[in-house]
Amino acid sequence: MLDALGDRTRRSILELLREGPVTVGELAARLPVSRPAVSQHLRVLQESGLVAHETVGTRNFYRVDSRGLTVLRDWLDDFWGTALESFAAFADKESSDGTAD
Amino acid sequence: MEPLIKTVRVQVAPDRAFALFTARMGEWWPLATHSVGAADATDVTLEGRVGGEIVETLRDNTTSVWGTVTKWDPPAVVAFTWHPGRTASEATQVEVSFTADGTGTRVELVHTGWEARDAAARDNYDSGWDFVLGCFTSGV
Repeated sequence: MLDALGDRTRRSILELLREGPVTVGELAARLPVSRPAVSQHLRVLQESGLVAHETVGTRNFYRVDSRGLTVLRDWLDDFWGTALESFAAFADKESSDGTAD
Repeated sequence: MEPLIKTVRVQVAPDRAFALFTARMGEWWPLATHSVGAADATDVTLEGRVGGEIVETLRDNTTSVWGTVTKWDPPAVVAFTWHPGRTASEATQVEVSFTADGTGTRVELVHTGWEARDAAARDNYDSGWDFVLGCFTSGV
């Protein structure tokens, strides 16, 4: 799920979707990538539960998915987990360095 | 959203663990993945006093303030506001406590403060999303 956010264009798409539901064409017009590329990114975001779409007439409108909070929690958990592991590795190295004297 | 709590055990005593965590943050913090500048981030420092700032330095010598120390109680607790890549008005809160555990230290980190943001977001668009995207776009 979080891999979906590792891409700059996908993060830009999410930023644009915050303003409200938009079509693929509207997104492509505001991003430096082709319309097929936007569609591909939207597919990844949808599969990750970050974006949803609804059909109005013949047009598909994309919007952020309310499951985003779960994504946030997973991401924060990983963020602080990684930071603390890095700290522990550093502290333990300092510890062993200290006892080696 | 409920507070996020993470713990880790380290093999040094609390006073040493506290000093390493704060005074030498730039030596252990995973800057490449956890910073505003990513590959351009060169250092992060935590100024050890209430009101002191956590500051990231980038390759071009510009800086980015991540937060401000709100509690400075060595070697037991350090707390700070947290808003990397965001303005101070959008800050959440992080508190890190150091407790003796045998010959080592148990480090507990508690990240809270989404309530105000959630309330504001409810009136706006989609709860939590500003924060989610703020995190991702800043890398922190």
